[in-house]
Amino acid sequence: MQPSLSNPLRIGLRQERVIPPQCLIIFGASGDLTHRKLIPALFDLYLQRRLPSEFAIVGCARRPWSDNEFKEKISSKLFEKISDNKDEWRIFSNYLFYQPVDLQNLEQVKDLASRLSQIDKKQATHGNKTFYLSVSPNFYAGGCKALKESGLIEDPKKSRIVIEKPFGRDYSSARRLNKIVQSCADESQIFRIDHYLGKETVQNILVLRFANTIFEPIWNRNYISNIQITSSETVGVEDRAGYYESSGALRDMLQNHLTQMLAVTAMEPPGKFDPEAIRNEKAKVLQASKLANEIKPWECCVRGQYGKGGNISSPLNGYREEKGVNPNSTTETYIAAKVFIDNWRWQGVPFYLRTGKRLPKRLGEIVLTFKDVPVHLFESTIIDPSPNQLILRIQPNEGATFKFEVKSPGSGMRSRPVQMDFSYDESFGEPSDEGYVRLLADSMLGDPTLFTRSDEVEAAWKLYTPLIELMENSPWKLPTHKYESKTWGPPEADQLLAKDNIFWRRP
Amino acid sequence: MKPQLTLQTPLELPPEEISKYLKQLWISENEYNFGANTFSLIVWQPAWLEQSLVKNELINGPITGTLSPEIIETAKKLILENRLPLSSSLYSNELIDLLNKNNQDCDAEDLRGQFFESSISTLNPRRLITLAPTNDKGTKLKTFVSAYCPLSDYSKNQPICGDLVVIRGKSELIAEKGPEIIENLSINDLPTWLWWNSSLDDSPNVFDNFSRNGRRLIIDTANGNEERCINVLRKIINSKKAVNDLNWIRLKSWRESLAMIFDPPKKREILNHISEVDVDIEGEHIIQALFLIAWISDKLNWQITYATKKSDFIEIEFSRENGEKVITNINSIPLGNPSIYPGQVIGLRLISKVSDDPKRNTCIILGAESAECMRLEAGGMADMQLIEAVVPNHYFSSDSDVSKLLASSRGNTSPLFENTINISSEIFDAIYG
Repeated sequence: MQPSLSNPLRIGLRQERVIPPQCLIIFGASGDLTHRKLIPALFDLYLQRRLPSEFAIVGCARRPWSDNEFKEKISSKLFEKISDNKDEWRIFSNYLFYQPVDLQNLEQVKDLASRLSQIDKKQATHGNKTFYLSVSPNFYAGGCKALKESGLIEDPKKSRIVIEKPFGRDYSSARRLNKIVQSCADESQIFRIDHYLGKETVQNILVLRFANTIFEPIWNRNYISNIQITSSETVGVEDRAGYYESSGALRDMLQNHLTQMLAVTAMEPPGKFDPEAIRNEKAKVLQASKLANEIKPWECCVRGQYGKGGNISSPLNGYREEKGVNPNSTTETYIAAKVFIDNWRWQGVPFYLRTGKRLPKRLGEIVLTFKDVPVHLFESTIIDPSPNQLILRIQPNEGATFKFEVKSPGSGMRSRPVQMDFSYDESFGEPSDEGYVRLLADSMLGDPTLFTRSDEVEAAWKLYTPLIELMENSPWKLPTHKYESKTWGPPEADQLLAKDNIFWRRP
Repeated sequence: MKPQLTLQTPLELPPEEISKYLKQLWISENEYNFGANTFSLIVWQPAWLEQSLVKNELINGPITGTLSPEIIETAKKLILENRLPLSSSLYSNELIDLLNKNNQDCDAEDLRGQFFESSISTLNPRRLITLAPTNDKGTKLKTFVSAYCPLSDYSKNQPICGDLVVIRGKSELIAEKGPEIIENLSINDLPTWLWWNSSLDDSPNVFDNFSRNGRRLIIDTANGNEERCINVLRKIINSKKAVNDLNWIRLKSWRESLAMIFDPPKKREILNHISEVDVDIEGEHIIQALFLIAWISDKLNWQITYATKKSDFIEIEFSRENGEKVITNINSIPLGNPSIYPGQVIGLRLISKVSDDPKRNTCIILGAESAECMRLEAGGMADMQLIEAVVPNHYFSSDSDVSKLLASSRGNTSPLFENTINISSEIFDAIYG
């Protein structure tokens, strides 16, 4: 008999929270994120029977499409996903509506309001609305104002706004944007999304730390020598040059995804599992974080830009040769930074964060390296005994590995490193949901736990302010070093750690 | 004791004036506060045991409807002292009859309907209606009404308020006049739950009267004659009503623990070779054991072929898709301690046989405590590859289980439970024909 594909005893057992009747309005519905992430995530929720029958998705963009055109566009782009679930898609597509809206045009937003009340009646969504701003960040402030002026977010219990990253370009713009958004809606209505927090493995850091007794007592400066947080991509800028040229790796990845991983790794235990308790602790740890050298930030940060690479049969363009990129661009596609956290738990422990495009592997991981033993009693089979390491793999092969020393077999007493491994695949055998599935459901449920609060966003920008100012005022002090495509960044990034007698983990 | 929900004593009003009074109350309260937009909860709250213990001066009043540790201890002592069967439930008729026989007729204040666990009140039920039948000699039906505003630790907004109504009197009177009073108090558009917080043997006519409408039912099949329990479930499912059973909910940790064993893909093949299943239960009430077996057989596509009751166990035979037999047994284990929830599962053993060589076979044991695991290991099981886990039977209060249900239920019967009820009924019929 063939082994079952999924665990039959697991079917129907998971008690997911019930999403109340809801109308989800996506601004930027003609964009990439909508068909690549949002609609597939919503369809997944539908397939998991987690959407209520009283539901509607209203796509909004400037294009003058009809409901049917919108449905056709979406289904043509999701061909592969739909082909296995044609019947389900047919039913799901009844939830799809479209309304042409220019968020800068108040009249059109008001027209949207009357269309929404018709849809609300038709779909019995009880007036519950979630507005998803999947538009250029330039429209966040104006969009929120238009929603307020048209009365669409009047009821704080029935309406929410989900805002994509990047939230601001620096500390002052993030503060300004927060003020505007908060003048339009209550903070409890605002859901700033960071899809890394939707990843099962990032949430698992909280469980690993706070549901076990063995980790928390050693999760501090007494036992940990350094922490490395890496998020690497193999792809280049692809067709996002327009956005990426003005953002770079710092704004695209470091300030949000990596800093959120830092917060979850370093935060204090919350008093209870409650959205505000968790977000308080994250905000506190971010407020205590600072660059290792704020006076000379160039000494604790390295920027890089990928150059050519590959081989004769499949050459790879350098960043400056990519379509839409300024041939003299100094935008960083790689950044590494050293950060300290000024609190009792982490005083003196360096956190090394790095992210880049066109690196050899697609990878997300957090590596906690423990301090060396005080005395080496045993000779090692390699040069020195390796320090213990706990590696939390965010992607791919999600899981955790613990490295420790054991006696090497034989008559001598020599030690060698081995590893204990936990893999999501081997333990659970089922793929975890995309981050957007979890976060879309949470936003419609009104659960802000995995969304960043205004003070967290501001603290994250403040942390990198010395770098941003340096890049804007004296960019020559923080040059973008070239690195060959498909290598682990510029050699200067290795130097950043070598100064502390540490090396990046080569995954 | 559960926290008191209302700060003021509920006002006694004639039944016909309640509806009007509540409308007036909400209008005068605050023009923007229309009360919680949530659900109504009707609770059948007889607390027969508490009433009888108070009347016999075995515990002090007031009567609150809470199954307190004091009530549990006193009742258990009575069962042991009066040599009632050890498997007697705290809701058993024998126990209540015994108490009523020596009724001292002591009076105590009746505060039923005013005490709810905060886990329920913080869900902001819009209307809480307590049906409080009494064994007093007085025959008049009394109705009380009050508003309440539970304060949340987090809410920055003004509290969301609801109201509560208590209908107190003889069961017959409640059965006769209650439905009309409740009908007048129903709030359109809001779901209404009926929680039968008593044995299913209690007042069947009242149960039928109140469950007739399209309300979502919460029952507990651990208490009540097994046939009555199965028939109630069957009837509810046939009439397409939503039902939630606390006896099924208490089985959750067993379902989860068993499923967890087969999460790693390399363990799943074991499921294709299961040949024997043993379920040990506390006492003789078999409903929860039937649920567990029905759930497993449903998920693994086993078809029932035969079932019989033997002297000290029940045997049920299934056939797998490939025609191979699976023998399951329900074993009653006397524990010498009266139970609040009779028939709770305390042990589960699955044997997966691929060879005559025991070392290649697998035995999975789940036990409520390690002693139970050791008991199930006997008879050569330890020669097989053993997978063992302890699933402690830590029960939450019924109020706590009900609050979880109210917070998460979609308002229909879970498909998992619906299938389980159908298969359990089939097995029950096969056993008792």
